[in-house]
Amino acid sequence: MRHVLSLWMAVLVTSVMPLCAGAAEWGSLKGQLVFDGTPPESKSIQNIAPDTEFCSKNELVDETLVVGEERGLANAFVYLYLKKGKTVAVHPDLAEPSDKPVVLDNKGCRFHPRALLVRTGQPFEIRNSDMGVGHNTNLQTLFSNPPFNQMVVNGKPETRMFQKRESFPAPAACNIHTWMKAFVLIRDNPYMAVSDARGNFEIKDIPAGPHEFIFWHDPAGMRGMAVGKKETDRKGRVKLDIAAGKTLDLGEIKVSASALRL
Amino acid sequence: MNYPTLNKLEAFTKLQGLCVLAVVLAAGCDTAEPPAFRLNMVEAVVRETPPEYSQEISDVLGAMFGTPDQPYALAETGLDQAKLDMAAGPAWSDKKGTNFGLYRKHCVHCHGVTGDGRGPTARFLNPYPRDYRPAVYKFKSTLNAARPTDADLHRVLMNGVPGTAMPSFSLLPGSEVEALVEYVKYLSIRGQMESALHMVVYELEEEEVVDENGEPRRDEAGEPLLQRTPLNPATYPEQREEILSYLEELMEGWNTANEQIIVPAEDQIPGDDRLPEEVLASAEAGRKLFYGKADCKKCHGPTALGDGQQTDYDNWNKVHHEFLVEIGRKSESIVKRVGDGELDKAAEQQLINDRVELARWQGVAATLYKPRNAIPRNLRQGIYRGGRRRIDIFHRVFTGIAGTPMPGSGPASPGAKGTLTEAQMWNLVDYVLSLPYEPPSQPLKALPVNVDEVL
Repeated sequence: MRHVLSLWMAVLVTSVMPLCAGAAEWGSLKGQLVFDGTPPESKSIQNIAPDTEFCSKNELVDETLVVGEERGLANAFVYLYLKKGKTVAVHPDLAEPSDKPVVLDNKGCRFHPRALLVRTGQPFEIRNSDMGVGHNTNLQTLFSNPPFNQMVVNGKPETRMFQKRESFPAPAACNIHTWMKAFVLIRDNPYMAVSDARGNFEIKDIPAGPHEFIFWHDPAGMRGMAVGKKETDRKGRVKLDIAAGKTLDLGEIKVSASALRL
Repeated sequence: MNYPTLNKLEAFTKLQGLCVLAVVLAAGCDTAEPPAFRLNMVEAVVRETPPEYSQEISDVLGAMFGTPDQPYALAETGLDQAKLDMAAGPAWSDKKGTNFGLYRKHCVHCHGVTGDGRGPTARFLNPYPRDYRPAVYKFKSTLNAARPTDADLHRVLMNGVPGTAMPSFSLLPGSEVEALVEYVKYLSIRGQMESALHMVVYELEEEEVVDENGEPRRDEAGEPLLQRTPLNPATYPEQREEILSYLEELMEGWNTANEQIIVPAEDQIPGDDRLPEEVLASAEAGRKLFYGKADCKKCHGPTALGDGQQTDYDNWNKVHHEFLVEIGRKSESIVKRVGDGELDKAAEQQLINDRVELARWQGVAATLYKPRNAIPRNLRQGIYRGGRRRIDIFHRVFTGIAGTPMPGSGPASPGAKGTLTEAQMWNLVDYVLSLPYEPPSQPLKALPVNVDEVL
């Protein structure tokens, strides 16, 4: 009897699933963040200590503002804003967080990468690839998840999992090498992106309809920035309509110094 | 670190102090205003909460927690009202000799009315008194991220914090110490709620302006007019719900503290009946870890004198340090733009806005103390702020010291892997406790030039 039931269940589930996927429709969002004007020159890190010899092997620069080719703004976060307690429908392909860990590596006395995206329930792995050099990783300003500060040694990565989403990217620090900084955004849905070296970002398979997105770059929301025909508010938030089956291409988004509070 | 803004402002504050004194002398001493809780202006400014919300945040906190003279605990907090009444208000004793107003009698001069670590003597103390508002406590038996247990707070009150201005209150009757523990928790919970209210304000969206008939008013283009939504949980049930859900979340941290106590494995704990040779062998193993895998030397220095990495800050000082650095950056940006001249209308407006904002930041900076670096402990002094029992040192090594650069070497949460095994952590405990007694000729062995020989 039980077998028959479970068979029926299986039939039911498989026949209903595609229906569900068809019912909700999905669209994408993309764009390119471009620094408006002449970007300030990057400064190299001064007073490298301790581990002066090891850490000075590669030139370390202040990565607060990274403007790459074609003045693309890297390391900016674009993500779906949700009020506390609200959730969003997630595309079936993205329903489960990947079990592949997001890796934050301590490498060459800098965090690699500078900006990371982690989903709740997805492993977050902290590595130390600097042989013989001690690093700690300190995420103190988490709001909803417990903060932590752990020693990370070679060949023994520290793996964590987060349970709750955070409203903003949280800074990670190494207290031994005080110039090291990275940002980790923890969300309970896949609708987030980090701009690459050319400033490009893309978020796929967002449920169609009106949404609010946040454009965020250290230290806060990117304010007063023209995004398509709209403008971000002082919190870096902007309302955008995602059309089913289409990609909303915002094209080139000019980022002024003022938007970044420079 | 030198902060030009702060130096100028410090001179200004002193001058202001004199003026206030002059005014007080001229006016005489009438009945003083009842003490009031102070808002966390650093948080308000850094989070860019519009100034219009300050009074409303203060009102909501007042409704949830009362005043320093009449504290009030919502049932959700589980706080004991009788204990709070005993600890709060002005100091006095009834005919039976029961003491009231304990916080103001024993704590307020350093920790301040609000528990923000900014009482009148705070500026002159090193380290600065603890700011309870973030609910982060350094010396506890629980995991780094966890709240302290009542027993942890009790222990700090009984022992004081050796090496700091915090004295022991072990001569007070037990009931008074318990009342103070409750009041410290109350101030922490209130502080956490204040942070949460900034999040609530952040999430508010503008609302439509309506006329007397409840119809939305529209501008010339026919778009509805929008206005600031006030923070007022009494008239907005969804705000009330959100505030209570934040309270519930933060109370979960306090209510589960007892489940997050670090309990060392029974079979790993070194016995009290060890032979001196066994203790020495364990300390020697700890020494190897200190200079090797555990990498304690990075901060505590190659001679364990606390002379390694000394340029970082603890959380409390870091917030103020970054605040002052940011002010420097903001003024620089404004000066540069004024110098550039030739601004278009939008840029001109932005400049005006930024100047107003800078003025707000500078007003707050005037109230700050100079941030101090977190200096790693000199382990040769034999002074242990969090207690000198072996278990105290074990807890420090296992989970680090919350709010400071000191990282943990044990698992950060149950089930996680740590860097060191418990046996290794006990070796480190033995080594750390042996350091003050190490013969003076030995420390030289550990200088970086011959560190290889030591290992």
